[in-house]
Amino acid sequence: MMEERIGVTKSVCPICLKTIEAYKVRNDENIYLVKKCSEHGEFRTILWRGEPHYEEWERPKTAAYPLNPFTEVSKGCPYDCGLCYDHRQHTCTALIEITDRCNLNCKFCFANAGGNNDPDIGTIKYYYQRILESSGTCNIQLSGGEPTLREDLGEIIKLGHNMGFEFIQLNTNGLKLKDLDFVKKLKSAGLNSVFLQFDGLDDSIYSTLRGQKILKDKLAAIENLEKIGIGTILVCTVVPGVNDSSLYDIVKFGLDHIPTVRGVHFQPVSYFGRIPTIPKDRDRITLPELMDKLSKQSEGIIKVTDFKPPGCENALCSFHANYVGMEGKLIHLGGDHNECICNIEKGEEGSRKTKAFVERNWSLGQDKLKEGKYSSFTQLLHIIKNNYFSISAMAFQDAWNLDIERLMDCCIHVVSKKGNLIPFCAYNLTSQHGKNLYREMRHFK
Amino acid sequence: MDKKKKINKSGWICAKCSCPVEEGPIKAMYLSGNFDVKLLRCPVCKNVLVPEDLALGQMLEVEKGLEDK
Repeated sequence: MMEERIGVTKSVCPICLKTIEAYKVRNDENIYLVKKCSEHGEFRTILWRGEPHYEEWERPKTAAYPLNPFTEVSKGCPYDCGLCYDHRQHTCTALIEITDRCNLNCKFCFANAGGNNDPDIGTIKYYYQRILESSGTCNIQLSGGEPTLREDLGEIIKLGHNMGFEFIQLNTNGLKLKDLDFVKKLKSAGLNSVFLQFDGLDDSIYSTLRGQKILKDKLAAIENLEKIGIGTILVCTVVPGVNDSSLYDIVKFGLDHIPTVRGVHFQPVSYFGRIPTIPKDRDRITLPELMDKLSKQSEGIIKVTDFKPPGCENALCSFHANYVGMEGKLIHLGGDHNECICNIEKGEEGSRKTKAFVERNWSLGQDKLKEGKYSSFTQLLHIIKNNYFSISAMAFQDAWNLDIERLMDCCIHVVSKKGNLIPFCAYNLTSQHGKNLYREMRHFK
Repeated sequence: MDKKKKINKSGWICAKCSCPVEEGPIKAMYLSGNFDVKLLRCPVCKNVLVPEDLALGQMLEVEKGLEDK
């Protein structure tokens, strides 16, 4: 099979992280990123396998430059992040790492957590202020390390709300959430949503990925979140050969826990932070393969055509489909990806819609059924508010598959220790030998 | 008798068929999703009446609730 060059971009050398030219190459239905470092040789990494085709997965949008960029353009992407004024998307979600500590030691961890370093509450206030200055009131995700290890987590949540952030989500492994009183405290502090690490329904998956059998802890956490009423997204790191054959089981489990569980979010494994080995192509799963597996495993209940590219970040970074769970059935909403996306959309409008969507649908509404005129519409409204269910995936980029065009469109920004906003994949970018661009070095093994 | 009361209560007559409209099941389609709701409709031509307060009230709320990203 002849190879065809279909595009050119920039990337980095996975050894020295120097910016280098990279080519997108088609070989049959597969797309590869091919790049050559003058010192460290050629690298070739799978980007996309199968259908929908790479070139068809598009949603063009105008650039939405930062409202208040903190850094100058000097060395070029990805070396000027802060955000710089060339960055092309607003902050949809700002991520604050409130601790380096963790109560697990996962085989894969983009944060390479396990240090012993917590910013004090004054520093966290400064981080919130920097987000306001740079991007205004976007959605917040408190992350780490494991953020539930902070004794003052409730105070951190309240502080964020008091400073004007409407939606605050907790990114957690859930181990601490088996304590009902702890969940009650989070609720009373105003926590809107939990982004719960949930890799499957079989303990062997957790043994492999997380080093412990913790399924029962996850189930206890969900039970408590149901009791207290905090909207939850199940977040699955998908690793080929570990849990990619049981993706729909997670969706089914989520549907059984509507309305607390608001959706399932899949993250194909990326090779940054703490990783077990240098990745081969067989260690990667791409977005179209995920869509195909979800469709096949659900025996067509979920259709590949249900999924659409995003309106906020770069189209190649994610997919999503929305449903309403009604009387045991999934009603798909939102047309399909074969519909013509003829117009170039406004980047800032995509960002606004995504922020509003996440705030509305990833938290648990308190909608009570009201009597009155047009009762069937009232009932429909109630069902939509309570039973909305999203299935989505986001493919992060690492030093091997980084496409700088995608990075420039990133809308998830991590607040660095200096208080700058760094696109998620740039913040976590790690060379083969553990060198970081932005994250402070820790105990790299 | 009850039905007649409802008809009188609605106060609407279908302009095309001249018969009183009555409440009945209809399929509302939005963003490719089908939803079963009850609305006033003509029993003959099946034309559906969407009153202004519904269009600007709950129907708009449903539309907002379904806005995609």
